[in-house]
Amino acid sequence: MNQVSTSPQAPDEAKADVPAIELVDICKSFGLVEVLKGVSATVARGETVCLIGASGSGKSTLLRCVNLLSPPTSGTIRLHGQTITDPKVDLNAVRSRTGMVFQHFNLFQHKSAVDNIALALRRVRKMSREQARERALQQLDKVGLRALASARPSHLSGGQQQRVAIARSLAMEPDIMLFDEATSALDPELVKGVLDVMRDLATSSGMTMMVVTHEMNFAREVADRVLFVDSGVIAEEGPARQLLTDPRTPRLKSFLSQVL
Amino acid sequence: MGDFLHSFFDIHQILAVLPSLLGEGLRNTLIIASLALILGLVVGLLLAMLLISTRWWLRMPARVYVDVFRGLPAIVTVSLIGIGLPSAGVRLFGQSPMGYAILAVGLINAAYIAEIFRSGIQSVPPGQAEAGRSLGMSHLSTQLLVVVPQGIRNVLPALANQFIVAVKESSLVYLLGLAVGERELYFIAQQAQSISYNSSSFVAAGLVYIVFTVPLTHLVNWFDKRLREGRRPASGGGGPAATPQPLIPVGATGFEAGA
Repeated sequence: MNQVSTSPQAPDEAKADVPAIELVDICKSFGLVEVLKGVSATVARGETVCLIGASGSGKSTLLRCVNLLSPPTSGTIRLHGQTITDPKVDLNAVRSRTGMVFQHFNLFQHKSAVDNIALALRRVRKMSREQARERALQQLDKVGLRALASARPSHLSGGQQQRVAIARSLAMEPDIMLFDEATSALDPELVKGVLDVMRDLATSSGMTMMVVTHEMNFAREVADRVLFVDSGVIAEEGPARQLLTDPRTPRLKSFLSQVL
Repeated sequence: MGDFLHSFFDIHQILAVLPSLLGEGLRNTLIIASLALILGLVVGLLLAMLLISTRWWLRMPARVYVDVFRGLPAIVTVSLIGIGLPSAGVRLFGQSPMGYAILAVGLINAAYIAEIFRSGIQSVPPGQAEAGRSLGMSHLSTQLLVVVPQGIRNVLPALANQFIVAVKESSLVYLLGLAVGERELYFIAQQAQSISYNSSSFVAAGLVYIVFTVPLTHLVNWFDKRLREGRRPASGGGGPAATPQPLIPVGATGFEAGA
């Protein structure tokens, strides 16, 4: 790493050049199991980066480190230049600007679709009941589910639940969106609807996105860059098309031969 | 045989004691049980929140409380509070034993209710709290607005059942010597028996308990069944909506509640 890009005081570093996400030497252990072994990566503003790799490789854990849902054992994380691994940082404020979409949707089961979205708008953004409801309905509209606003999660299909979950995150107007295997728990025919929403977000709204996925076609078409995570390190990284069609490492070759 | 039947089913004895059982007795039993349940719910929820804390110094006092009150026979607790406190000069409720009765049954109930709440709260998938935290909600508001409401829903039948337990436990307060007007079901029956030397008044009190508790038990079971079936998606099809919520996500064990 050269000095200019790591020093925040660098005089010629314009604000726009600060990466949206900067991970420096991230290590994470669960008990004696070392899941991440010194991962460094950056994601530029507006960039979509896909994390691929076998189950247990550490890619989900890495993603969960980014909003400190699973705090790293050591290492530094900067979001838009702000060091969020600093204990003095207001994590709730950071997380409210960093959306996360989960494999199992994690919609609040006791609340309707619209209330799922409105809850954090009221509690975190301090909106009035009416404002929050209005914003929630707008977001549902964007994912094509306004008609199901009052439905409970248990009455929605997995694909619908996941689109509500995406709407819930987007309602907070985040700078960064994290997707943790957002389509892995869906029936095949429901995957497309969710991927379309994600694709639209990446291409037309210029959102910074970090996407853990097994959807290689999505990675190829939508991602600017792909990171291949293997045994707790980034084993290979590069532009999506190049990395997926012309892998250099034997590990990635064998991984791709199994999933494609 | 006639004597045997007579000593349990003397219709005159039963009819004689029934008016005060249904009037004074049932009313006071329900007052003691209801107020004890309310006290138990408040203290129990507080204890449950402490029991699931990640900080040992919050968890430990709650654990000791629950273990002690669940470990003691109810009659010992009622004696310690109802007889012990006033004789030690702690007269929270003046001369009325009713207040001590409610306090004792309430504190016993709190220990059981704490465990009910704890298991309910812990049955909520960790992904629910993670979703709340990932949206920027604080630990406390995530617990209060997301986790606890779902946890309570899961254990409503068990809580209703605890009310039945409170109804039955309220009979123990007879040993505090309730005054006329404050007597609950069992105390009335016991006084009638001590005059007549006939056990029919116990049978009468038993019948009142059963007429009240058995339908309540079935109501709770019905409610429980409805709640379980209501959890399934109405629009069948066996889609992913039918998949039970996680499946603890990878790394869930590393989730720091206080972070």
